[in-house]
Amino acid sequence: MITVTGLTKHYGDRTAVDDLSFTVAAGRVTGFVGPNGAGKSTTMRMMVGLTRPDRGEVRYEGVRYADLQHPARLVGAVLDARCMHPGHTARNHLRAMAATSAIPAGRVDEVLVDVGLESAADQRTGGFSLGMRQRLALAGALLGDPQVLLLDEPSNGLDPDGIRWLRHHLTDFAQRGGSVFVSSHLISELSMFADDLVVVGGGTLLAAETVEAITARQAAAVVVETPQPADLTRVLAGPNVTVEATGDRLVVRGATKATVSQLAFEHGIRLVELSEVAPSLEETLLDMTGASAEFASA
Amino acid sequence: MNITSPAIPWTTSDRSAVRTRSDDLHAVPAALRSEWIKLTALRANKAILVLTAVIGALIAWVLASSATDPTLTASELFIFPLPLVAMLATVTGILMFTGEAQHGTLAVALTARPARWVIVAAKTITATAVGLALGATGMLAGFGGAALGGVELGSGSALASRALWALLYIALAALIGLGVGMIVRHSAAAISGLLMWSFVIESLFAPALPEGVRHFLPFSAGYRLLDAGPSFESPVTIVHELARPQYALIFGGYALVSLAIGTLLLYRRDTN
Repeated sequence: MITVTGLTKHYGDRTAVDDLSFTVAAGRVTGFVGPNGAGKSTTMRMMVGLTRPDRGEVRYEGVRYADLQHPARLVGAVLDARCMHPGHTARNHLRAMAATSAIPAGRVDEVLVDVGLESAADQRTGGFSLGMRQRLALAGALLGDPQVLLLDEPSNGLDPDGIRWLRHHLTDFAQRGGSVFVSSHLISELSMFADDLVVVGGGTLLAAETVEAITARQAAAVVVETPQPADLTRVLAGPNVTVEATGDRLVVRGATKATVSQLAFEHGIRLVELSEVAPSLEETLLDMTGASAEFASA
Repeated sequence: MNITSPAIPWTTSDRSAVRTRSDDLHAVPAALRSEWIKLTALRANKAILVLTAVIGALIAWVLASSATDPTLTASELFIFPLPLVAMLATVTGILMFTGEAQHGTLAVALTARPARWVIVAAKTITATAVGLALGATGMLAGFGGAALGGVELGSGSALASRALWALLYIALAALIGLGVGMIVRHSAAAISGLLMWSFVIESLFAPALPEGVRHFLPFSAGYRLLDAGPSFESPVTIVHELARPQYALIFGGYALVSLAIGTLLLYRRDTN
């Protein structure tokens, strides 16, 4: 269990993170989402003591990160997959990490196998692709067999197979009782395996709920195709109803499928298609954050 | 959570144990092991060791081969390559920190060891060991090169004392490098700044300074830990020299101050 309380960080006049509080439960994958510049990376860096918060604190099982005797045994973190010396081999990179945390050297080969890098163990990391670096960075996080994983954009540079592998790995980690806190700007990908979401925008907390609860915040839209779009738009007009028209196709929000059907029937408007579309998580989050295209899934 | 690895001996309660000052002290050997792995895993460091031996042997051999003074011996000439060895030690000290800062592995180390002084202590001990190793290599190669150049081996009476002062000089040079690296955090900037200071500012502008100030120029003070007799010329002339222990204090003071500032900055700065 991670408890984040009142985390705040200013850079000069700019507030990067403002009074952020949330919890990350054990046995669940918690996604950390927000547009670029929302304060995700700053928050994650404060969570492992690399950036000093102006206010607030983070506790892991009730203990502050800086007070942990062996942080790597409880928390495995990957904040930047490029953090490795290009002149070191993958094995030596992990050996040095293991030594710092007093982790038995035998664990190095275990995690190399775990992330599928055993055949590249003696290659220098300078020749690694971004995907291989992501795997090696994850291997480093797993060295201490931690109970918590903190990962910042772990799928960057991974091919579709790699993304599927990562998803499986994180889900499995959570199912075994671990806490996974993973930031990503790829909402569609995150929606496939996250149980909970922490949504930030402009450094402030917008939501910290289950994926289902966040999706349910936005009502379904009704999609209508009609040869009389202007007539139907006029009929549907109301204080809580919005209609977006694209040719003969209308997307109606604020009215149910039954209401649209009834009004069309009463006014003699012919419908070619009528369906209800549940909002995607991405649309919901975009609406919540009012974010730019940077936030949209790639 | 289930423990999945047979290599992991700790229990669930061990994971969230709170650290004490004594734990930090006990973490230093582990951090030292890590520094040793990082140091020996890099080809560049092995290349510096080989370069030290080559420079030591070559300079001493050339000087011995071309010596016109028949009283010059190998036990004096082996000192001559050491200013260059000191530069190599300083550069190695710089890279021990800047390499980590620039490649992000410093953040990885600080995440693993929140007590930052543990990392500083491990790096300081390692840099000292590197300085001693480079110094010993340079001196052995210098002695061998001078002997191969055809001069007498010379008396061993002053050799031990001269070698010990020389080792101190090279070890302190490595520590100054580490301190400068911790302050500057950028390899190219730190190395070029150091070379500029040593070869340009200190060598060219020192004659314009009063002698009282010249005592306190860092590399000039360092040079004076090497005492190879009148044929060994320092680039900075000082008529009324201080005693070697005083120069050791000045050179060591630079190492101490640079490390202290670097450590302070490590505590104050955010780490990328």
